[in-house]
Amino acid sequence: MRPELEQVVQEVEKVIAGKREGIVRILLALLADGHVLLDDVPGVGKTTLAVALSRAVGLSCRRVQFTPDVLPSDLVGFSMVDPSGTLNYRPGALSGTHLLLGDEINRASSRTQSALLEAMEERQVSVDGKTYPLEKPFLVIATQNSVGTSGTQFLPYAQMDRFLIRLTLGYPDYAAQMAMLRSRQGGNPMDRVVCVLKRERLLDMQKDVQTLTVKDAILDYITRLTMASRTHEAVSVGISPRGALFLDRMARAKAYAEGRDFVTGADVQAVFPDVCAHRVLLKEESRQSVEEVLQDLLRSVDVPDRRAVWKLKA
Amino acid sequence: MIRRISGLCAWLLLAICLYFFENNTGTRIVLLLSLLLPLIPSVRASLLRRDSPEASETLQPLSRTLSVPWEELFGDVRTYQPGDPVNRIHWKLSAKRHELLSRQVSFDDQPASAPCDLPVPAPDRSAQRKKRAVRLPALLLPISACLLFLPSIRMSAMALANSVFEMSEQSNAYLYEHFPVSPDTSLLPALLLLLLILGILLGILLLSGSRLLALGMAAVCVIFQVYFGLSLPSPLQVALFLLLVLWCLARPLEKRVLLHLALCVLTVSLLVCLVFPGTDLSVETASERVRDLLSRLTGAQTALLSETPAGETETRHLHGRTLTEGSQEAQAEREFQLVTLQEVQISQPPWTGLLRTVLLLLGVIAALILPFLPFMLMEMRRRKALEAQKVFASENLREAVLAIFQNITGALHVMGLDGGNLPYCAWENQLAEKLTDGYARHFSECVPVFEQAAYSDHPLSENQRQQALDLLYETRQLLESRSDWRQKLRLRYGECLWVASPS
Repeated sequence: MRPELEQVVQEVEKVIAGKREGIVRILLALLADGHVLLDDVPGVGKTTLAVALSRAVGLSCRRVQFTPDVLPSDLVGFSMVDPSGTLNYRPGALSGTHLLLGDEINRASSRTQSALLEAMEERQVSVDGKTYPLEKPFLVIATQNSVGTSGTQFLPYAQMDRFLIRLTLGYPDYAAQMAMLRSRQGGNPMDRVVCVLKRERLLDMQKDVQTLTVKDAILDYITRLTMASRTHEAVSVGISPRGALFLDRMARAKAYAEGRDFVTGADVQAVFPDVCAHRVLLKEESRQSVEEVLQDLLRSVDVPDRRAVWKLKA
Repeated sequence: MIRRISGLCAWLLLAICLYFFENNTGTRIVLLLSLLLPLIPSVRASLLRRDSPEASETLQPLSRTLSVPWEELFGDVRTYQPGDPVNRIHWKLSAKRHELLSRQVSFDDQPASAPCDLPVPAPDRSAQRKKRAVRLPALLLPISACLLFLPSIRMSAMALANSVFEMSEQSNAYLYEHFPVSPDTSLLPALLLLLLILGILLGILLLSGSRLLALGMAAVCVIFQVYFGLSLPSPLQVALFLLLVLWCLARPLEKRVLLHLALCVLTVSLLVCLVFPGTDLSVETASERVRDLLSRLTGAQTALLSETPAGETETRHLHGRTLTEGSQEAQAEREFQLVTLQEVQISQPPWTGLLRTVLLLLGVIAALILPFLPFMLMEMRRRKALEAQKVFASENLREAVLAIFQNITGALHVMGLDGGNLPYCAWENQLAEKLTDGYARHFSECVPVFEQAAYSDHPLSENQRQQALDLLYETRQLLESRSDWRQKLRLRYGECLWVASPS
């Protein structure tokens, strides 16, 4: 792990103990300039994590609690006639925000969801024919309540596909929870989190990630993995080409975080479950879970290491 | 190249000789096949070429952990000499015999360091001179065969052939169509020519050391003996084949090789002396067979003659004169039938001779080549492995490191100790489980070198190559120390040279 990134993780860990994995992944998503979908029960520290991360990296953070009556204009802003008679743009929640925490995104109406998702993809909002670019970097951490809770609906597959990774934080273990309880005794630990990474430096890093070396062998591996997912017997909808693109991006970020400037097959394998878990729809009759299917794919598709050495043809 | 030319010349010679002495279809086919034999690339490649000792010596340091020498495979040991490396000591045997024994390895005296130095061998003058020397007899060979076109020598050769036929007829129940030659023709020119050709062939054999030529001569010898049913006395036979076969083997000879050699000689001798009937029969037995055949035929004849229809006898009484004439005609016809029947039975259908020749030829080739097959395969593997090892020292460090890793992972795969379909950096656990912790650690320390070679554009350093090579040696030593001779053989045979997928 690069020392700069290691520092960020340590800062965030001051607030959330025992969640190093999740923190690193979100940081990787930030490096890869993608968005995160957290699939979790309430109260495990999603908001805390987002706020701590934004503090450690020196970003502005905003939180939107989605309910069925949140409107698109609340997010993207709206135009309003002011007393002098001119039409003024009033920015919404998205403008000026680097890190947006969208709580319970699956409780919002479809209109609101699509407004948010368009902003995520295009990194801009359009109001009354005018386009306003969003801040850079722009990271959305959306949380999703388990389906079945009142007032929720499935996030459509097409929208789920736009998130770079889906994560589950899960409950902390005994030691982590004890540490958390103890840390709250002397005031809010959030105050102790300091900015260790400048925003400009983060943007530079994002650029570096984009220019990393990715050999054909790795692209070949990504392609074979995604294509194998489409023909797997338990899968009805496999990994989309966008999924393959995201896999590439996330693998780059992973390699960059490791301090390398080239991507290896192990990087792809490491990020594969996170990137692809929400892109695979299983057949109804299948008895495997998504995780099992993904492990199956990793096992059955030839690793690029072997191919590089044995010069196998595709 | 020269060896190839000389080999082809020898076959050409054989072809010319056969053309002049036989006009039988079977022999023509032998001729054709014998001409085709050197064209089979694998036979030619494995027999004709023999890598020069210089080349294998230069590659020795690299191959020292890769190709286990034969002695070690079969546990050839000697008493411990001061200076033998400790890891060469055969502890098990030493404990048994209460004295230190060390495995005998040909490169014991070479220092273990600097396995990467590959001195380019200076072109050997004497080898080139040898090549030039081979050229002359190789050219002489077809020229001397062309002497057969001279009428006097040709006549004499035919007389020689006739005498061979006579010898064959004396010892077997064969019949030959002799060449029309005046009885006072001298055999001397043909014998001299034969001696000349033999001399030239031996000269080429000595100068070039071509194994194919030796095999070819052995084959001609066997075919000659089987075809004419003339066999040499057994000791001479064995000696001859021993000599020829000895020639075909790679030197220096080892115990196992000699065993194989003996087997080979035995096979050929048995094939010639026992399996093919008529070749080693005494005159009495042969003539008894002919007598049996004739008696069976005459039995059939009398049966045919005595079988006369009853109606015919009556008519014979009635018309005495005409009847006797008619019966005479009938008898003549029957006799004619009998003669043809006899001829058909004595002279076999034409295709049996052909078939016999083909089978014979195949048998001889198989008997000559089969015993060498394991050696040839091993040799090919070894040569390929040496080729692959050349890449280890190549200028292109990236390729070198990839080749080294191919060798490492291939060896692990052959022994079933690899990490399967996982990236190499994830092999550590499995290696620690199946091999040793220390090795697993070294392996994962070395993986970044591989990753850099495979996935990045960074230049590699000489140190990294050395690191990979060290891992390779460690792998080989570890695997060898843990395997019995069968696994060693597998390791050696595998030699990590799969062209396609290892699975």
